[in-house]
Amino acid sequence: MDRLSGAFGRFLDWLMGLACLLLFAMTLLIGGDVFTRNAGVGGIAWSNEVSENILYLITLFSAPWLLRQGQHIRVDILLRAIPAGVGWVLEWIGDLLGFACSVYFVWYGFKVLAASYQAGAINIKTLVTPEWWLLAPLPIAFLLVAIEFIFRMRRLAHGERAPRTDAVSVS
Amino acid sequence: MTWQLAALLLLGGSTVLLLLGMPVALSFVAINIVGAFLYLSGEAGLSQVVRNSVVSVMSFSLTPIPLFILMGEVLFHTGLAVRVIDGVERLIRQVPGRLAVVAVVAGTVFSAISGSTIATTAMLGSLMLPIMLARGYHPTMATGPIMAIGAVDMLIPPSALTVLLGSLSGISISKLLIGGVVPGLMLSVAFVVYIIVRAKISPRLAPPTPIAKAAGWENWRLLILYVVPLITIFAVVVGAMSAGFATPTESAALGAIATMALAALYRVLTVDALVRSLRGTVAITGMILFIILGATTFSQILSFSGATDGIVSLILGQGFSELALVALMMATLVFLGIFVDQVSMMLITLPVFMPLVTRLGVDPIWFGVLFLICMQLGLLLPPHGLLLMTMRGVAPPEVTFAHIFQAVVPYVIMSLLLLGLLLLVPQIATWLPNLLIG
Repeated sequence: MDRLSGAFGRFLDWLMGLACLLLFAMTLLIGGDVFTRNAGVGGIAWSNEVSENILYLITLFSAPWLLRQGQHIRVDILLRAIPAGVGWVLEWIGDLLGFACSVYFVWYGFKVLAASYQAGAINIKTLVTPEWWLLAPLPIAFLLVAIEFIFRMRRLAHGERAPRTDAVSVS
Repeated sequence: MTWQLAALLLLGGSTVLLLLGMPVALSFVAINIVGAFLYLSGEAGLSQVVRNSVVSVMSFSLTPIPLFILMGEVLFHTGLAVRVIDGVERLIRQVPGRLAVVAVVAGTVFSAISGSTIATTAMLGSLMLPIMLARGYHPTMATGPIMAIGAVDMLIPPSALTVLLGSLSGISISKLLIGGVVPGLMLSVAFVVYIIVRAKISPRLAPPTPIAKAAGWENWRLLILYVVPLITIFAVVVGAMSAGFATPTESAALGAIATMALAALYRVLTVDALVRSLRGTVAITGMILFIILGATTFSQILSFSGATDGIVSLILGQGFSELALVALMMATLVFLGIFVDQVSMMLITLPVFMPLVTRLGVDPIWFGVLFLICMQLGLLLPPHGLLLMTMRGVAPPEVTFAHIFQAVVPYVIMSLLLLGLLLLVPQIATWLPNLLIG
């Protein structure tokens, strides 16, 4: 199980690397669009749309990695105020609910994806793409989040009977 | 089902789940599932939540968030920040509490480049705190100014959270970004004045420090070589936005590219620094946007259930004046800031606050800047303020949490005074965006 968890962690690292590359590409793409538009050579018409898609992919690719690192923001004021053992039980409840929410996204995500694929729905913006291309990453990412929740609960079971020290805020 | 029950279920339920310690995004997802089933036609509503989540973060207005954060991360990971501090330090010489003043001035410069309060606080904390402590500064005098100016980063553009507030509330992002400049600078000046007065009254808190001997060009070299070009990037970002030459997203991309180009010119942009900057940026962006993805249907369900209308009508029915109501909203935000993070604050309150703002005819820029100051306060409020934790992370063991909590008190008071002043004089927030954008 440890080896499986390690291999899964390396896969999440790889996904995070991909998200970094996408961010770099997005920065250059928007900059390139502004530059070419103001240089009078027309700009990159699909820049906005592709940037929006990249933002979505960055969010999904980083989500399971952030869960592994304990970097998804949460409020732990109550967990710190109550006895450690009770806090540990609340961690279990939180993890089980988190796992259930992820499974919901996997199940309904694939349902929506299948319906869109069967209907042949397409997105018509600057680029014309099948809608399922955009819908597909969501259930896949949440499947990874659900798997990570299983590893997370395993770590909770084997760790100290106290609340975790995860991220509590962001800015 | 009455709106009261809906409000209790949705607002109360999300609060309970947040307190359970679930990731914020998934707390909202759980409530959205129940809410969608009850108020958005069952099965159809459950599928709609998924569709809404897909489009929630595909918004061009959110694109500046990673770009503004990237600017700060590059500044942090390439070591450019050290040069900025050196440049500022050479100019500030015969002042009581000199190093603390340098921290505030350098922090203000960082704020103009960095869109991340964490990056600014961590930069100053790791670079200046050891020097101040080694020179005999009291831990409260050493840590307070750094945390305070780190929080001001949220007000001075570029700011990732300002972009998010604009995007979620529908307030003009450009105007909101520019609206934060004057209050941010007012706080910086107030901090400097406070430090000087405090150090003059109690010199033991900040003993005089030796100054490196330099004259003429040597005094100005680092300022001109490092600080001025970075300030120029700030001018380009804000100028491009104000002049309508570029959208906030395009300005942010130009700013990020310019920061990387400048770091490359100084030969500090190594592959390692770039990778660490991108990684840090993706992590912070992912944290913020994952919450948006999970919470996106929350305000819609709140509205469909009748809870939003019910709460708004109830509040308006009390006959409060406009000022009293805005003050009440700000008090709610300051209270929430004690135990809830900034993104959750926006998600919980905006669905109710924005209809109130619209119905009352409140200037949205004024309201937005007040909202930003409350969030900035939340970063500093014990026991949970993010920047208190950031400072704890970079401070040596002799600096205790008690020092850190005590250190922020005067700066929290100054921020509260600014909040009060802004409530009475809205023009402090609105005149610059009105002047530059119209």
